[in-house]
Amino acid sequence: MVALVIALALFFDFTNGFHDTANAMATPIATGAIKPKTAVALAAILNLVGAFLSTEVAKTVSGGIIREGTDGVQITPEIIFAGLMGAVLWNMITWLKGLPSSSSHALFGGLIGAAIAGIGFSAVNFETLMQKVILPAVFAPLIAGLVAYLCTRLAYSLTSRHDPETGDKLTQKRGGFRTGQIFTSSLVALAHGTNDAQKTMGIITLVLIAAGTQEAGTGPQFWVISACALAIAIGTYSGGWRIIRTMGSGLTEVKPAQGFAAETSTASAILASSHLGFALSTTQVASGSVIGSGLGRKGTSVRWGTAGRIAIGWLFTLPAAGIVGALTAVLVGTGTVGVVIAAVAGFAAVTYMLLHSRKSSVGSHNAVEVESAGQAVRFRKKKSMKSKGTKAKGTQS
Amino acid sequence: MKWLELVTVAGATLVSALVVVTLYSLGVRLTAIAGDTTAARPRSVKYLAFACFGLCGLAVLFGLYLIIPYFGA
Repeated sequence: MVALVIALALFFDFTNGFHDTANAMATPIATGAIKPKTAVALAAILNLVGAFLSTEVAKTVSGGIIREGTDGVQITPEIIFAGLMGAVLWNMITWLKGLPSSSSHALFGGLIGAAIAGIGFSAVNFETLMQKVILPAVFAPLIAGLVAYLCTRLAYSLTSRHDPETGDKLTQKRGGFRTGQIFTSSLVALAHGTNDAQKTMGIITLVLIAAGTQEAGTGPQFWVISACALAIAIGTYSGGWRIIRTMGSGLTEVKPAQGFAAETSTASAILASSHLGFALSTTQVASGSVIGSGLGRKGTSVRWGTAGRIAIGWLFTLPAAGIVGALTAVLVGTGTVGVVIAAVAGFAAVTYMLLHSRKSSVGSHNAVEVESAGQAVRFRKKKSMKSKGTKAKGTQS
Repeated sequence: MKWLELVTVAGATLVSALVVVTLYSLGVRLTAIAGDTTAARPRSVKYLAFACFGLCGLAVLFGLYLIIPYFGA
């Protein structure tokens, strides 16, 4: 059972990398800052490195949300299995539909659902949940969006050049931001590793604690860290290939300066909160930044409809994954047969979705999730200053 | 509640992002000035641009240094 849960957890990590990290590299590929192959490899390596950097978030996941240990309720590997099943399935569904949902919330939703169905409401530490998951989930995108807005304004005002005599616009020469994007998107990938890979480490640690092979309240072991880092890196690498295939179909118009500002805000928001052990959603922070930086550019307006659709998707993630987790927990609760049924059904569902995804055409709508966040901002059509960008795009296609 | 931590995160995000973006933007701007063909510019502008990029890189590295527990301990 423990081995099964660990395998499932690593698979979740894989889907996480598959699902999320490509977002970090989508903008620099789009603006032609970095070659697709290099970008994907870089993202994978940085995720690997990021996973080793900090274990604060892992500690939050493994020691807090669900009461474990002697004073709490006994959490079993079965419950964690059910929770993971909910998370993996919801992740696959949203990935297939191209919803910008958060892998982290899917994970928490699944676990909470499974714990409630399997043990009862007392199993969930709602206070920690509120403090470490819900509040950051609400504020992190707002903070990232606000910072991205300010940064975009700043970047544009610092680099806007006018002729001192006539007041005419000079060539703005913001091409330097394209190079900068290589670094900022690398930072985002690194930040993703420090936050998202941690969640799986936390889960595996939770399983090990539940199975009695590890002391309660201790951090993740080294082999767990390595395995998670590898899983998320491989996921990133394979997910990236989908992105590359879709780059031809065109992304939201993101200017290098804007992308630079958005990525800087995303990376700093994630790194700052990882450091304090907030398990926030990379997808949500990135979406917040993209919208914020879009607003920072002149002549933009928000498409509230699209933004609202994204927000509803976020609201649904936790309960939806929770329901799947709860159903699995009930099934698992019936005994070994239930576990086998749940495992086989889950495996079948994942296989079906993978096969289905091969059939359906891959477009930027279902490969780049943050893309829909970008669409929430309407840009004024502008044709100047684009010559460099189009040139760079042309050479790599 | 963890309001204080939340404020810390917000503050850290704001400060670090603004520092990086300001330095990098200045670098971009100075590079642009240095590249102007219309007027003869002193070479120092170019070095100043490099200095900005360099400082920006250092700021990022310092941020990472603060975060990585290996150095912090």
